[in-house]
Amino acid sequence: EDALLPAPQNISVLSTNMKHFLTWSPVTVQGETARYSVEFQGEYEREYANDSWIPICECSLIASTVCNITEDISATVAYNLRVRADVGARRSEWGTLKGFFNPITTSLTPPLMKAIADGYHLLLELEDMGPAFQFCVLYWKKDQESTMWQKLVKKVSSVVHLDTMEGGADYCVKAQSYVEAINRSSSFSQTQCLRAQGDRSMWL
Amino acid sequence: LGSKVLHLGHCRVSLSSPEIRAGFNAIKANIQARDPIRTLSILSHPHSLHKVKSSDRCCITHHLLDFYMDKVFRHCKTEDPFIDRRISSIANSFLSARRKLEQCHLQNQCACGQESREKLTQVLANYAALNVTSAAIKSLGELDILLDWVEK
Repeated sequence: EDALLPAPQNISVLSTNMKHFLTWSPVTVQGETARYSVEFQGEYEREYANDSWIPICECSLIASTVCNITEDISATVAYNLRVRADVGARRSEWGTLKGFFNPITTSLTPPLMKAIADGYHLLLELEDMGPAFQFCVLYWKKDQESTMWQKLVKKVSSVVHLDTMEGGADYCVKAQSYVEAINRSSSFSQTQCLRAQGDRSMWL
Repeated sequence: LGSKVLHLGHCRVSLSSPEIRAGFNAIKANIQARDPIRTLSILSHPHSLHKVKSSDRCCITHHLLDFYMDKVFRHCKTEDPFIDRRISSIANSFLSARRKLEQCHLQNQCACGQESREKLTQVLANYAALNVTSAAIKSLGELDILLDWVEK
Protein backbone atom coordinates (compact mmCIF):
# COMPACT_ATOMS: atom_id res chain seq x y z
CA GLU A 1 0.00 0.00 0.00
CA ASP A 2 1.47 3.41 -1.00
CA ALA A 3 2.95 5.40 1.86
CA LEU A 4 0.60 8.11 3.13
CA LEU A 5 1.53 11.62 2.06
CA PRO A 6 2.33 14.13 4.78
CA ALA A 7 -0.48 16.65 5.35
CA PRO A 8 0.23 20.22 4.20
CA GLN A 9 1.93 22.31 6.91
CA ASN A 10 2.29 25.99 7.83
CA ILE A 11 -1.33 26.68 6.94
CA SER A 12 -2.22 30.33 7.49
CA VAL A 13 -4.56 33.07 6.33
CA LEU A 14 -3.30 36.31 4.85
CA SER A 15 -6.10 38.86 5.17
CA THR A 16 -5.89 42.45 4.10
CA ASN A 17 -8.79 44.84 3.46
CA MET A 18 -11.39 42.10 3.69
CA LYS A 19 -9.64 39.94 1.10
CA HIS A 20 -8.61 36.61 2.54
CA PHE A 21 -6.10 34.07 1.18
CA LEU A 22 -5.26 30.66 2.59
CA THR A 23 -1.63 29.64 2.12
CA TRP A 24 0.41 26.55 3.03
CA SER A 25 3.80 24.97 2.43
CA PRO A 26 4.12 22.66 -0.57
CA VAL A 27 4.19 18.88 -0.14
CA THR A 28 7.20 17.72 -2.11
CA VAL A 29 7.52 14.28 -3.69
CA GLN A 30 10.49 13.58 -5.90
CA GLY A 31 9.57 13.89 -9.56
CA GLU A 32 5.82 14.31 -8.94
CA THR A 33 3.44 17.22 -8.62
CA ALA A 34 1.21 17.56 -5.61
CA ARG A 35 -2.30 18.91 -5.99
CA TYR A 36 -4.27 20.45 -3.17
CA SER A 37 -7.91 20.73 -2.11
CA VAL A 38 -9.37 23.21 0.37
CA GLU A 39 -12.49 23.04 2.56
CA PHE A 40 -14.01 25.47 5.04
CA GLN A 41 -16.44 25.31 7.95
CA GLY A 42 -18.23 28.25 9.54
CA GLU A 43 -19.73 28.45 13.00
CA TYR A 44 -23.08 27.59 11.47
CA GLU A 45 -21.73 24.28 10.17
CA ARG A 46 -20.24 23.46 13.55
CA GLU A 47 -23.33 24.37 15.58
CA TYR A 48 -26.20 23.45 13.23
CA ALA A 49 -24.94 21.22 10.43
CA ASN A 50 -23.16 18.32 12.14
CA ASP A 51 -19.69 19.82 11.90
CA SER A 52 -19.86 19.53 8.11
CA TRP A 53 -17.15 20.87 5.80
CA ILE A 54 -17.71 22.59 2.48
CA PRO A 55 -15.32 22.23 -0.45
CA ILE A 56 -14.15 25.29 -2.38
CA CYS A 57 -14.42 24.20 -6.00
CA GLU A 58 -11.97 26.81 -7.28
CA CYS A 59 -9.37 25.28 -4.96
CA SER A 60 -9.99 21.63 -5.74
CA LEU A 61 -6.92 19.67 -6.95
CA ILE A 62 -4.94 22.85 -7.62
CA ALA A 63 -1.17 22.96 -8.02
CA SER A 64 -0.85 26.36 -6.33
CA THR A 65 -0.31 26.72 -2.56
CA VAL A 66 -2.63 29.74 -2.32
CA CYS A 67 -6.44 29.81 -2.32
CA ASN A 68 -8.64 32.91 -2.42
CA ILE A 69 -11.27 32.23 0.23
CA THR A 70 -12.82 35.72 0.25
CA GLU A 71 -16.07 34.70 -1.41
CA ASP A 72 -16.83 31.98 1.13
CA ILE A 73 -15.48 33.59 4.30
CA SER A 74 -18.08 36.32 4.21
CA ALA A 75 -19.66 36.43 7.67
CA THR A 76 -18.12 37.82 10.85
CA VAL A 77 -17.92 34.42 12.55
CA ALA A 78 -15.07 32.02 13.33
CA TYR A 79 -14.12 29.78 10.42
CA ASN A 80 -12.12 26.56 10.29
CA LEU A 81 -10.07 25.81 7.17
CA ARG A 82 -8.24 22.71 6.00
CA VAL A 83 -6.09 21.50 3.07
CA ARG A 84 -5.02 18.09 1.85
CA ALA A 85 -2.63 16.92 -0.88
CA ASP A 86 -2.96 14.39 -3.67
CA VAL A 87 -0.01 12.93 -5.57
CA GLY A 88 -0.98 10.35 -8.12
CA ALA A 89 -3.13 7.81 -6.28
CA ARG A 90 -1.87 8.88 -2.88
CA ARG A 91 -3.79 11.26 -0.63
CA SER A 92 -2.68 12.98 2.57
CA GLU A 93 -4.59 13.58 5.74
CA TRP A 94 -6.14 17.01 6.18
CA GLY A 95 -3.91 19.75 7.45
CA THR A 96 -6.05 22.16 9.48
CA LEU A 97 -5.50 25.86 10.20
CA LYS A 98 -4.36 26.32 13.77
CA GLY A 99 -7.13 28.21 15.51
CA PHE A 100 -10.01 29.89 13.75
CA PHE A 101 -10.09 32.72 11.26
CA ASN A 102 -12.64 35.52 11.66
CA PRO A 103 -12.83 38.30 9.05
CA ILE A 104 -12.97 40.88 11.83
CA THR A 105 -9.21 40.37 12.22
CA THR A 106 -8.40 41.52 8.69
CA SER A 107 -5.72 44.20 8.51
CA LEU A 108 -6.94 47.49 7.10
CA THR A 109 -4.79 49.90 5.15
CA PRO A 110 -5.47 53.55 4.44
CA PRO A 111 -6.87 54.26 0.95
CA LEU A 112 -4.78 55.47 -1.93
CA MET A 113 -5.88 59.02 -2.53
CA LYS A 114 -5.09 62.12 -4.52
CA ALA A 115 -6.05 65.61 -3.45
CA ILE A 116 -6.83 67.97 -6.33
CA ALA A 117 -7.42 71.72 -6.40
CA ASP A 118 -9.74 72.50 -9.29
CA GLY A 119 -9.74 76.27 -9.20
CA TYR A 120 -10.95 77.01 -5.67
CA HIS A 121 -12.56 73.57 -5.27
CA LEU A 122 -10.80 71.04 -3.07
CA LEU A 123 -11.43 67.61 -4.57
CA LEU A 124 -10.30 64.12 -3.59
CA GLU A 125 -9.87 60.97 -5.60
CA LEU A 126 -10.19 57.83 -3.45
CA GLU A 127 -9.31 54.22 -4.17
CA ASP A 128 -12.32 51.93 -4.58
CA MET A 129 -11.65 49.27 -1.95
CA GLY A 130 -14.92 47.40 -2.36
CA PRO A 131 -18.54 47.57 -1.14
CA ALA A 132 -17.65 47.00 2.49
CA PHE A 133 -15.56 50.19 2.69
CA GLN A 134 -16.37 53.74 3.75
CA PHE A 135 -13.86 56.55 4.29
CA CYS A 136 -13.30 59.23 6.89
CA VAL A 137 -11.63 62.26 5.32
CA LEU A 138 -10.06 65.05 7.39
CA TYR A 139 -8.95 68.36 5.89
CA TRP A 140 -7.70 71.58 7.36
CA LYS A 141 -5.89 74.78 6.58
CA LYS A 142 -2.20 74.21 6.83
CA ASP A 143 -0.74 75.18 10.22
CA GLN A 144 -4.27 75.37 11.66
CA GLU A 145 -4.63 71.77 12.77
CA SER A 146 -6.85 72.87 15.63
CA THR A 147 -9.68 73.40 13.16
CA MET A 148 -10.26 70.25 11.15
CA TRP A 149 -13.22 69.39 8.98
CA GLN A 150 -14.42 65.81 8.59
CA LYS A 151 -16.30 64.16 5.78
CA LEU A 152 -17.63 60.57 5.79
CA VAL A 153 -17.60 59.10 2.30
CA LYS A 154 -19.97 56.12 2.19
CA LYS A 155 -19.61 55.30 -1.46
CA VAL A 156 -16.66 55.95 -3.71
CA SER A 157 -17.79 57.90 -6.73
CA SER A 158 -15.23 59.25 -9.17
CA VAL A 159 -14.24 62.36 -7.24
CA VAL A 160 -15.32 63.71 -3.86
CA HIS A 161 -15.88 67.45 -3.47
CA LEU A 162 -14.56 68.41 -0.06
CA ASP A 163 -14.88 72.17 0.04
CA THR A 164 -14.35 75.52 -1.57
CA MET A 165 -10.95 76.95 -0.67
CA GLU A 166 -9.91 80.45 0.10
CA GLY A 167 -7.58 81.76 -2.58
CA GLY A 168 -3.90 81.56 -1.67
CA ALA A 169 -4.54 79.40 1.43
CA ASP A 170 -2.80 76.04 1.83
CA TYR A 171 -4.99 73.06 2.58
CA CYS A 172 -4.05 69.58 3.81
CA VAL A 173 -5.99 66.31 3.53
CA LYS A 174 -5.72 62.81 4.96
CA ALA A 175 -8.10 59.81 4.93
CA GLN A 176 -8.70 56.46 6.63
CA SER A 177 -10.80 53.49 5.53
CA TYR A 178 -13.67 52.16 7.69
CA VAL A 179 -15.55 48.83 7.53
CA GLU A 180 -18.93 49.05 9.25
CA ALA A 181 -19.48 45.28 9.32
CA ILE A 182 -16.50 44.84 11.62
CA ASN A 183 -16.60 48.39 13.08
CA ARG A 184 -12.90 49.01 12.49
CA SER A 185 -10.81 51.68 10.79
CA SER A 186 -7.37 51.79 9.21
CA SER A 187 -4.67 54.22 10.20
CA PHE A 188 -4.68 57.56 8.38
CA SER A 189 -3.02 57.97 5.03
CA GLN A 190 -0.08 60.28 4.41
CA THR A 191 -1.14 63.92 4.47
CA GLN A 192 -1.30 65.72 1.15
CA CYS A 193 -1.20 69.53 1.05
CA LEU A 194 -1.90 71.89 -1.81
CA ARG A 195 -2.84 75.46 -2.57
CA ALA A 196 -5.45 76.86 -4.87
CA GLN A 197 -4.32 79.68 -7.13
CA GLY A 198 -7.03 80.67 -9.45
CA ASP A 199 -7.40 77.67 -11.75
CA ARG A 200 -3.90 76.18 -11.22
CA SER A 201 -3.24 73.81 -8.37
CA MET A 202 0.18 73.74 -6.83
CA TRP A 203 1.54 70.88 -4.78
CA LEU A 204 3.44 71.85 -1.67
CA LEU B 1 -19.02 42.66 3.07
CA GLY B 2 -21.23 45.69 2.91
CA SER B 3 -23.58 45.99 5.88
CA LYS B 4 -26.74 47.78 6.89
CA VAL B 5 -27.78 48.89 10.35
CA LEU B 6 -31.24 47.56 11.20
CA HIS B 7 -33.33 49.69 13.55
CA LEU B 8 -35.52 47.18 15.42
CA GLY B 9 -37.26 49.23 18.05
CA HIS B 10 -34.58 50.13 20.63
CA CYS B 11 -32.25 47.58 19.15
CA ARG B 12 -29.70 48.44 16.48
CA VAL B 13 -27.98 45.56 14.70
CA SER B 14 -25.72 45.57 11.65
CA LEU B 15 -26.60 42.92 9.12
CA SER B 16 -24.59 42.23 5.99
CA SER B 17 -27.85 42.31 4.05
CA PRO B 18 -26.33 43.45 0.76
CA GLU B 19 -24.01 40.45 0.97
CA ILE B 20 -26.85 38.10 1.96
CA ARG B 21 -29.07 39.43 -0.81
CA ALA B 22 -26.30 38.99 -3.38
CA GLY B 23 -25.76 35.43 -2.21
CA PHE B 24 -29.48 34.73 -2.30
CA ASN B 25 -29.98 36.27 -5.74
CA ALA B 26 -27.26 33.98 -7.06
CA ILE B 27 -29.29 30.88 -6.04
CA LYS B 28 -32.87 32.18 -5.98
CA ALA B 29 -33.98 30.84 -9.37
CA ASN B 30 -32.52 27.42 -8.66
CA ILE B 31 -34.05 27.20 -5.18
CA GLN B 32 -37.48 28.45 -6.25
CA ALA B 33 -37.45 25.98 -9.15
CA ARG B 34 -37.24 23.21 -6.55
CA ASP B 35 -40.46 24.45 -4.90
CA PRO B 36 -43.44 23.12 -6.90
CA ILE B 37 -46.10 24.43 -4.49
CA ARG B 38 -46.71 27.99 -5.59
CA THR B 39 -50.01 28.47 -3.81
CA LEU B 40 -48.62 28.43 -0.27
CA SER B 41 -46.35 30.81 1.60
CA ILE B 42 -44.42 30.24 4.82
CA LEU B 43 -43.83 33.87 5.75
CA SER B 44 -46.74 35.70 4.14
CA HIS B 45 -49.74 33.47 4.89
CA PRO B 46 -52.32 34.61 5.87
CA HIS B 47 -50.85 38.06 6.47
CA SER B 48 -47.77 39.74 5.15
CA LEU B 49 -44.86 40.49 7.45
CA HIS B 50 -45.39 44.12 6.56
CA LYS B 51 -48.53 44.20 8.71
CA VAL B 52 -46.44 43.69 11.88
CA LYS B 53 -46.19 46.58 14.37
CA SER B 54 -42.72 48.15 14.71
CA SER B 55 -42.60 47.28 18.40
CA ASP B 56 -42.68 43.61 17.43
CA ARG B 57 -39.94 43.85 14.79
CA CYS B 58 -37.05 42.92 17.04
CA CYS B 59 -38.73 39.84 18.50
CA ILE B 60 -39.89 38.58 15.11
CA THR B 61 -36.49 39.17 13.54
CA HIS B 62 -34.79 37.35 16.40
CA HIS B 63 -37.07 34.35 16.15
CA LEU B 64 -37.10 34.23 12.34
CA LEU B 65 -33.29 34.16 12.32
CA ASP B 66 -33.56 31.20 14.73
CA PHE B 67 -36.19 29.61 12.51
CA TYR B 68 -33.97 29.82 9.45
CA MET B 69 -30.96 28.40 11.26
CA ASP B 70 -32.83 25.66 13.09
CA LYS B 71 -35.35 24.57 10.49
CA VAL B 72 -34.34 25.85 7.08
CA PHE B 73 -30.65 26.01 6.09
CA ARG B 74 -29.74 22.56 7.44
CA HIS B 75 -32.47 20.95 5.33
CA CYS B 76 -31.43 22.67 2.11
CA LYS B 77 -28.30 20.69 1.29
CA THR B 78 -28.12 20.20 -2.49
CA GLU B 79 -26.02 18.31 -4.99
CA ASP B 80 -24.59 21.63 -6.19
CA PRO B 81 -21.48 22.85 -4.29
CA PHE B 82 -22.05 26.41 -5.53
CA ILE B 83 -25.48 26.55 -3.92
CA ASP B 84 -24.24 24.93 -0.72
CA ARG B 85 -21.49 27.56 -0.45
CA ARG B 86 -23.92 30.42 -0.90
CA ILE B 87 -26.27 28.89 1.70
CA SER B 88 -23.31 28.60 4.07
CA SER B 89 -22.48 32.29 3.61
CA ILE B 90 -26.08 33.28 4.30
CA ALA B 91 -26.37 30.94 7.29
CA ASN B 92 -23.17 32.21 8.90
CA SER B 93 -24.26 35.82 8.32
CA PHE B 94 -27.58 34.99 10.03
CA LEU B 95 -25.66 33.43 12.92
CA SER B 96 -23.54 36.55 13.27
CA ALA B 97 -26.59 38.85 13.20
CA ARG B 98 -28.49 36.67 15.66
CA ARG B 99 -25.59 36.83 18.08
CA LYS B 100 -25.76 40.61 18.01
CA LEU B 101 -29.53 40.44 18.47
CA GLU B 102 -28.98 38.25 21.51
CA GLN B 103 -27.41 41.26 23.23
CA CYS B 104 -30.62 43.24 22.75
CA HIS B 105 -32.62 40.28 23.99
CA LEU B 106 -30.53 40.14 27.15
CA GLN B 107 -31.03 43.88 27.65
CA ASN B 108 -34.81 43.45 27.33
CA GLN B 109 -34.92 45.48 24.15
CA CYS B 110 -36.43 42.63 22.16
CA ALA B 111 -39.66 41.81 23.96
CA CYS B 112 -42.27 39.61 22.30
CA GLY B 113 -45.82 40.89 22.26
CA GLN B 114 -49.00 39.00 21.50
CA GLU B 115 -48.83 39.80 17.81
CA SER B 116 -45.27 38.49 17.48
CA ARG B 117 -46.20 35.21 19.09
CA GLU B 118 -49.20 34.80 16.80
CA LYS B 119 -47.15 35.61 13.73
CA LEU B 120 -44.36 33.18 14.68
CA THR B 121 -46.87 30.46 15.51
CA GLN B 122 -48.41 30.95 12.07
CA VAL B 123 -45.01 30.68 10.36
CA LEU B 124 -44.29 27.42 12.20
CA ALA B 125 -47.75 26.12 11.29
CA ASN B 126 -47.22 26.93 7.62
CA TYR B 127 -43.87 25.15 7.83
CA ALA B 128 -45.33 22.08 9.56
CA ALA B 129 -48.03 21.75 6.89
CA LEU B 130 -45.38 20.53 4.44
CA ASN B 131 -42.74 17.84 4.62
CA VAL B 132 -39.47 19.15 6.05
CA THR B 133 -37.49 19.41 2.82
CA SER B 134 -40.29 21.12 0.90
CA ALA B 135 -40.94 23.49 3.78
CA ALA B 136 -37.24 24.32 4.11
CA ILE B 137 -36.78 24.90 0.37
CA LYS B 138 -39.91 27.09 0.27
CA SER B 139 -38.72 29.10 3.26
CA LEU B 140 -35.31 29.59 1.66
CA GLY B 141 -37.02 30.68 -1.54
CA GLU B 142 -38.84 33.38 0.46
CA LEU B 143 -35.64 34.85 1.93
CA ASP B 144 -36.05 38.06 -0.08
CA ILE B 145 -39.45 38.57 1.55
CA LEU B 146 -37.69 38.47 4.93
CA LEU B 147 -34.86 40.76 3.76
CA ASP B 148 -37.29 43.28 2.28
CA TRP B 149 -39.17 43.41 5.58
CA VAL B 150 -36.10 43.50 7.82
CA GLU B 151 -34.53 46.32 5.80
CA LYS B 152 -37.75 48.33 5.70
